[in-house]
Amino acid sequence: MFRHLSAVWTARHFLLALVKLDLRLRYRRSVLGVGWSLLHPIAMTIVFTVVFSQMFGDSNPVGYAAYALAGLAVWSFLRDAATAGSKAFLTNEAYIRQSPMPYSVYTLRTVLGQALHSSLALVVVVALLVIWKGDLAVFVGLGLALPGLILAVIAAWAVATIGAFVTSFFHDMAHLLEVGAQIGFFLTPIMYRRSLLDDRGLSWLVDLNPANVYLAVVRDPLLSGVPSAAGLVQLGNAYLVALVVTLALVALAGGVVSWLHKKVIFHL
Amino acid sequence: MAKIELTDVSVTFTAHAQKRLSFKEYLVRGLFRRSANPAVRVRALEGINLTANDGDRIGVIGHNGAGKSTLLKTLAGVYPPTRGTRVVEGKVCSLFDITLGFEHEATGWENILYRSYLQGETPASIRGKMDEIVAFAELGEFINMPVRNYSAGMLMRLAFSIATAIEPEVLLIDEVLAVGDLAFLHKAKARMRELMKTARLMVMVAHDLDTIRAMCTKCIWMNHGQIAAEGDPNWIVDSYTAAVTAASEAALSAPEQAALGAPAQPQSAAA
Repeated sequence: MFRHLSAVWTARHFLLALVKLDLRLRYRRSVLGVGWSLLHPIAMTIVFTVVFSQMFGDSNPVGYAAYALAGLAVWSFLRDAATAGSKAFLTNEAYIRQSPMPYSVYTLRTVLGQALHSSLALVVVVALLVIWKGDLAVFVGLGLALPGLILAVIAAWAVATIGAFVTSFFHDMAHLLEVGAQIGFFLTPIMYRRSLLDDRGLSWLVDLNPANVYLAVVRDPLLSGVPSAAGLVQLGNAYLVALVVTLALVALAGGVVSWLHKKVIFHL
Repeated sequence: MAKIELTDVSVTFTAHAQKRLSFKEYLVRGLFRRSANPAVRVRALEGINLTANDGDRIGVIGHNGAGKSTLLKTLAGVYPPTRGTRVVEGKVCSLFDITLGFEHEATGWENILYRSYLQGETPASIRGKMDEIVAFAELGEFINMPVRNYSAGMLMRLAFSIATAIEPEVLLIDEVLAVGDLAFLHKAKARMRELMKTARLMVMVAHDLDTIRAMCTKCIWMNHGQIAAEGDPNWIVDSYTAAVTAASEAALSAPEQAALGAPAQPQSAAA
């Protein structure tokens, strides 16, 4: 495992150059640049806010918009990292056939690109919160959410790597993942609040949802700003769960890599 | 010190006869009935023993599908041996499939960076070589354009210039001397000769038997994934040519027999 990670470190120049290229291509494609790529989450947020803020929110449109946009940013990061990351071996096949670089470099390329992209949406959330609340407490929340973001990136890397190995053997896996992501979106408290499910005795649905683990350590501290003592305990518990889930995913990915890395090239 | 050591190396893999396996098919066919898309074991390399040290220039010959390229890819670390051990010491430079793996939206300049990093260069080590690579490729203004606008020949020039700009210890070559127009071909041949001189160890696959005679100190004749013979290049090339000629003459006189011919005659499959 450590040998694998040090090989990834050796490939860092290659990796970062390609991540930079991916981002530049993404933002250069239009006159609006960065704004264009934020259009989708922001448009979704506006629709959610107009339609659902009365229904699900506490009749506070700006607060609801920040909640929805932060949730969407984290969710779309996890979803895109998993679905696009699963195709990473297929899209980077030419490199794989030429160089004995560790395969997880290619999934990391996708995951890092998506992470930087989603961070832009989170910047908009921070700006919204500063305007709405009028104080800088949100930066405390940002500090508390940063380790959660890092955990989310590591977990997404692990999931993308597992997905990429499976997709190399079964090419229709990417399609199944997309279907799964669509269902997952409605099962995850993104446009509604968690309390809505708790009130109906469906809290197990959220507790079993791995995406929610990362929402709890990124979105929730970001929105609550300076936490109360009780909030701090709750956040500590959320972090513990996130750490355990992340380590389990990393262990699983490590197992998949050592099991399949000698076979996958013959299936590309 | 550069070294290659393959001990009893085999590469076998499973391929599906008709198309790629999908998960849906795996579930349906695997659970309910026997597969209509059977898996086939392909033995690409079998029991290869090969040792090479500083100063060795090895040429690999054989018919199409004999396992020459698989051997090179195994040496490069791209294909993992299914059995046996592979030891390769020294900085490896592999020249195969060099026109693949370009980022089509990026400019020539940027692609030079990516490919060099892929070959193990760092930003510090590549800085001095960039201008030299650009000069050798002779692409003029095109170097600032995305490579999707390049012609096949231009892409080849760029790929060749990048791939040969590093100073390798172990050089692996698979039929790359089909580059660009005549003027560039001469330049490329000169560059290759220089590269072969500076590399400590070289393994090359070529159908041009004269190149093998002129450049190599040792020759390997591959046949159906196994080493059929190895030794002095002149001797091996002569017996290979004799075997191929005999096989094609036999095929001309008695086609049915040749088609069923003994596997010891390497050309029978191609004929």
